Amino acid sequence: MSAPSLGLRVANLQAGYEPGAPIVRGVSIEAGRGEIVTILGPNGAGKSTLVKAIAGTVPIESGTVTLDGEDITARPAHRMAGGGLAFVPQTDNVFTTLSVADNLKIAAHGLSAAQRRARFTAMNELFPDLARQRGLAAGRLSGGQRQMLAVARALIVVPKALLLDEPSAGLSPKVVAELFDKLLEIRAAGVCIVLVEQNVRAALTIADRLYVLVEGRNRLEGPKRDLLADPEVAALYLGGARTSTAATLLGTGP
Amino acid sequence: MSLQFLADGLVAGATIGLGAVGVTLTYSILRFANFAHGEFISWGCYLTLLLAGAIGAWASASLAPLGALSIGPNVLAAACAAMALTGLLAIALDALLFRRLRRHGNSITAVIASFGAAMALRAALEAIFSSRPVYLSQELQIAIRVGGLRVTPDQLALLGLAVVLVGALQLLLTGSNAGRSMRAVSENPALARIVGIDVANVIRLTWFIGGALACAAGVMLGLVVQIRPTMGAELLLPLFAAAILGGIGSVPGALLGGLIVGLAEAGTVQLIGAEWRAAVAFIILIAVLLLRPAGLLGRPT
Repeated sequence: MSAPSLGLRVANLQAGYEPGAPIVRGVSIEAGRGEIVTILGPNGAGKSTLVKAIAGTVPIESGTVTLDGEDITARPAHRMAGGGLAFVPQTDNVFTTLSVADNLKIAAHGLSAAQRRARFTAMNELFPDLARQRGLAAGRLSGGQRQMLAVARALIVVPKALLLDEPSAGLSPKVVAELFDKLLEIRAAGVCIVLVEQNVRAALTIADRLYVLVEGRNRLEGPKRDLLADPEVAALYLGGARTSTAATLLGTGP
Repeated sequence: MSLQFLADGLVAGATIGLGAVGVTLTYSILRFANFAHGEFISWGCYLTLLLAGAIGAWASASLAPLGALSIGPNVLAAACAAMALTGLLAIALDALLFRRLRRHGNSITAVIASFGAAMALRAALEAIFSSRPVYLSQELQIAIRVGGLRVTPDQLALLGLAVVLVGALQLLLTGSNAGRSMRAVSENPALARIVGIDVANVIRLTWFIGGALACAAGVMLGLVVQIRPTMGAELLLPLFAAAILGGIGSVPGALLGGLIVGLAEAGTVQLIGAEWRAAVAFIILIAVLLLRPAGLLGRPT
């Protein structure tokens, strides 16, 4: 018997909103603990549907999802967070009518009082800006602060895996950099992070490995360094500025 | 001018308010106007009547009125049990009807279905109890004077009960996990699932609270008027007027709306004429929708 591999493993996943009309058509990805994996792909490639299916909010037709060796394919969405898989949707990812503190408390209802206190303290340290605004309704936060709150909320349960659907959408480059700094800290704690991104340049700065989906299927995969050298990736995402951009991103530029 | 209408209006308003809380919760969590809510009021009252009779037959000492009130401990015990039963009735109606419709239909389907459910629930009451009016209490009460108004001890107790029930619910909603979950599901059910809330449980809790408070409203109403199978249905328009006036989703708003509608109705009867009573709720409803669609304590969307 082989030891279960740690992290998230998705095998041959087929999923979609309507039965018989899959949007994700046999995708396989892996993300280890302490690793940031980025899913890239053109519009309509099925990136969002993939993470939603993993999180249990889009029906899975076939294939398996395992987390630290445990099969979580058929687990209902509301039991995912408690089981160690946290998801940050792209939009409407905080409760705007609830206070910042209540947004965090609501994710902590499965924890003991002592665990809860420890997690709130940890989040106050990781996100001091939010701690200062704990009484404010989340709807009054800026876009960047909302995204931070959504990530903080997802981390309350000490997840093994964190899925984020385009967290950088609509944020200024400065705020994206701040958010990604937080993701690096979270990675350092051994969390496995799966990031769907349209913003390729931003994603490439923090990804350890990349998957490229096209039309609901795996197209390319590999470590960042290898993919950046791939002419197809360059053509798809980096336009004509392949060499210079890739060089900048790899830190090997002039 | 006599201010006597204040006493009657406050009690009627508290009854309407308790019923409106259920309407407002169902609307904000499940996104449809439940026209069967009035039937929970009637069912709650009849269940209380039935249980009070059974308890009275089993322990006849419980029939003696409590202090200055017109009812005995049997009615109080029966009302508590009936609140739980009416809550379960509401959950059962959801499981049989609305939950199935939620999977496919839209909110209009649910509204129409609630009309059908209302008729079925009312017809069942008529079949079981006939439409002959009955009473929870036939004791005469001596009114006491409070600041120039004549009020009965029952009226004072009922008003206090309504405030306590709504206050307790408001504490639950703002201070407990269950309440936070209800507010979260009301705002964004999809996100609620993602953060680990069992939405089906929250929906059951919502029905239970709505049904139990409707039963309390039914008991209040049953102490003031004749008990008939149509008693709840006749309250439906004031319930909706109160829920919308207070602001959909707001529990204190529903009580406040109920008190305003109740006072307006009683004031109309005294100052203008009883024939205008039924029109008042309707006029308030239209005025709110035109002037302040979010209601008094609601959030503009």
